[in-house]
Amino acid sequence: MKTKIIVPLVTAAAAALFTGCATDAHYVQTGDREQIVSLGQINIQDYANAANAAVKDLLASGALDRVANPPALVEVSKVINNTSQLVDQDLLTQKIGIALTQSGKAQIKLVDKLSKGYQQENEFMSDQKGTRLPDFTLSGKIIETVDRAGNTRRTTYSFQLALNDPKAGVQVWMSEKEIGKQGTRSSVGF
Amino acid sequence: MKTKYLLPVVCAAAALFAAGCSTPVNSVENAQKDGRRMMVSDQRVISDTGLNHRVGVVGVNTAMTAGGLLRVQVELLNETRSLHRFSYKFEWFDVNGMQVENILSASSTDQIEGRESKMITSIAPNPGCKDFRLKLISAD
Repeated sequence: MKTKIIVPLVTAAAAALFTGCATDAHYVQTGDREQIVSLGQINIQDYANAANAAVKDLLASGALDRVANPPALVEVSKVINNTSQLVDQDLLTQKIGIALTQSGKAQIKLVDKLSKGYQQENEFMSDQKGTRLPDFTLSGKIIETVDRAGNTRRTTYSFQLALNDPKAGVQVWMSEKEIGKQGTRSSVGF
Repeated sequence: MKTKYLLPVVCAAAALFAAGCSTPVNSVENAQKDGRRMMVSDQRVISDTGLNHRVGVVGVNTAMTAGGLLRVQVELLNETRSLHRFSYKFEWFDVNGMQVENILSASSTDQIEGRESKMITSIAPNPGCKDFRLKLISAD
């Protein structure tokens, strides 16, 4: 008699449990509780954290405020990739560029061929050198270091960024954000 | 007879476990402070009392940058003896109370040791942002 009641109950509980644990595809937000902590690679959250730290530091430094004609004109230069993976630097520099332009403290200089063509045409037609040279260039480097102890692996990514004054030949601002991840395998959650 | 042996073993294991997780912090600082924090009055909504015990907000102070951006610093305190991981994000609002979203509002993860006091900071996305909200969520 007891078995008659227990079996359906256990079955129902098991079904409920499996339904709760199921991971059907769904939309997620960057930085939410379900983010994947990937051990051996830089993920979107790492880029967001690095960009957040860099923008916070750069705006607080006041380096962009020290130009003759604000807002400062910034040209995004190369971010050297010293990691074992392929890195699209726009994942970092675009986030920084967006935040800087939204702050009203900087404008990002266009460097694509089409824009350069328009600039040259404008200069030729108006017969004057109208192109403003950048006040600063933004450059950087991403470095990966790996430490192992048994099955445990710690990967640290160092995001180094610098704001350079090309006319003076000096770096007016530098920052470094280290993001470390440790474990035996990648996981879901913070 | 079994209980005689079992109880000390379990107690020893529990003590070892607690010692392993316990990471209280000792600290020292100058008593006569030259810097003066401009503390602001704050409104709090506590939904997770456990988190409030582990990552409690001690106070909030602000300052302006030379470029007219509002900087916020929040002092957190872990009242327990164990390390705790948490996630936080600052939300920023303009003079009309409209939220301004960019990378400065992204979630960040952090950790705080037992009995540690820690500062987290943010900066307004533009000079028009004067109000903010900090959201904290447990990551353990």
